Amino acid sequence: MLIDDTIYGYAVARVKALETHLLEQGQFERMINASTGEEALKVLSESGYAAALAELDDIHNFETVLADELRYVFNLVMKISPLPELIGMLALRYDIHNLKVLFKARFLGITSDLLIPVGSVELAKLENAVTEDDFLLLPEKLRRAANQIIEDFMVNRDPQIVDLILDRVLYDQLIEEARERQAPFLEGLFVRQIDLTNLKTLIRVKQMGLSRDFLSRVLLPKGTLAVEKLAAMIEEPLESLISMLDISDYADLVGEGVREWSEKGSASLLEKLSDNYITAYLREGKWVPFGVEPLVGYLWAKEIEIKNIRIVLVGKINQLPAESIRERIRDVYV
Amino acid sequence: MEIRVNPTRMELNRLKKRLTMAQRGHKLLKDKRDELIRQFMILVRKNKDLREHIEKELTDAFAKFLLARAVMPVENLEEALMYPTKVLRLDIHRQNIMSVYTPRFDWVEEQSGGAEESSIYPYGFVDTSAELDTSIETLSKILPQLMELAEVEKSVQLMAEEIEKTRRRVNALEHVLIPRLEETVKYITMKLDESERGALTRLMKIKDVVRAKM
Repeated sequence: MLIDDTIYGYAVARVKALETHLLEQGQFERMINASTGEEALKVLSESGYAAALAELDDIHNFETVLADELRYVFNLVMKISPLPELIGMLALRYDIHNLKVLFKARFLGITSDLLIPVGSVELAKLENAVTEDDFLLLPEKLRRAANQIIEDFMVNRDPQIVDLILDRVLYDQLIEEARERQAPFLEGLFVRQIDLTNLKTLIRVKQMGLSRDFLSRVLLPKGTLAVEKLAAMIEEPLESLISMLDISDYADLVGEGVREWSEKGSASLLEKLSDNYITAYLREGKWVPFGVEPLVGYLWAKEIEIKNIRIVLVGKINQLPAESIRERIRDVYV
Repeated sequence: MEIRVNPTRMELNRLKKRLTMAQRGHKLLKDKRDELIRQFMILVRKNKDLREHIEKELTDAFAKFLLARAVMPVENLEEALMYPTKVLRLDIHRQNIMSVYTPRFDWVEEQSGGAEESSIYPYGFVDTSAELDTSIETLSKILPQLMELAEVEKSVQLMAEEIEKTRRRVNALEHVLIPRLEETVKYITMKLDESERGALTRLMKIKDVVRAKM
């Protein structure tokens, strides 16, 4: 099926206009250099967040502003996109998040307010499905995952399993859908995310001192790095991981990030480099005149921007040194 | 100031008994106080070490947690932690140190899941920061020490109260009751001696009068 690309004309143009409102590195720098959290917020309110921030009465509630912004941006991009299903794929992770929350809440016998109202399936539908134990309305993969969770949890009562199963189904579903809808750019994005997550998981599981068996169960399939190869790495020193990936695309990021991790015991650099890597990948699609790429890029840019704002504000409110805030700030997309 | 009593021999005996009793009590209480203080010092020292150690570890864990918090959306973070893998069962017993009942904690950490790998991490690896792992690990490692600290600190509190009470009693005995009793005993003896002398002179006087008449 060949899609006429020109249907993207309006959406891309609109997103190009929106891109100019994204925060720039300089603005983050000013926020970092602000003396207090309130001052940093003031810098932020010179930007597109002004209206929402005006209503904020307590700086500690800044998360609501960020959540609202994210929801707004998602709905907007979904609306202007000629093929909303593609954007819906990016919202799938919020469905998965909501499912995790719903399942855990159900197993604990509580109601939770941690749901994120972004997502491709309606919240009420999800809530209903989980409480009524009726998953027929969910997409097939999610349905199977849900049943699996119920079964497993009854036996093991291990909350981690909820996350593990749903994470796996998330990327399974994403890759499959991307292939089905012939969106190689999106598939590339997901594959990279899988690889980066797997790398991180490998080191984390290694540091937790858990077994290779466990690792091969939690690694996500369908990445470019073979699961067995990665799993084998748990018995090797981190150095050999670096040399194994020496000729892959991840050489730089792993070299720098993993070294820092093993030397200073801090994962922050690797996590930041991973995000930067994705940003760099999406930036390649930024100038595609007709296509979904700029839309995806914009959404990611917004997510990164929100992440950066959170890092700065949390850091400022808690008076972290400017340096440790700065080293966690991700590259911006523009 | 002496106690107002009738200066009788019976009263004197009673008071003397009370005085020896008070002195014995005073000695015992003093011993108790000294021993309490000794025990207290041991606990306080332990408490101080533990507390300093835990405060350092906690500051560290909280700093890491803060960083994890900074890179994760609040919903993700709370979802990750909403269902803990471990359940702590706590039994509290009483323990008698110098007749002070201090608590003793016995606790068992139970895996909520029957999973073969006892993982303390209740979340998946996608969308969670590795910085969360380290803070969870530190927190889980200092939990036993935290329980111990709670135990020691409560004991110290209870002991301190007891020491204060005992000290007040010792002081009351030493500075109030015993001197008073001693004074009263002295007063009665003097009074009795006085009346004895009075009786004696009276007898002698009578004897003189009778002899003169004969």
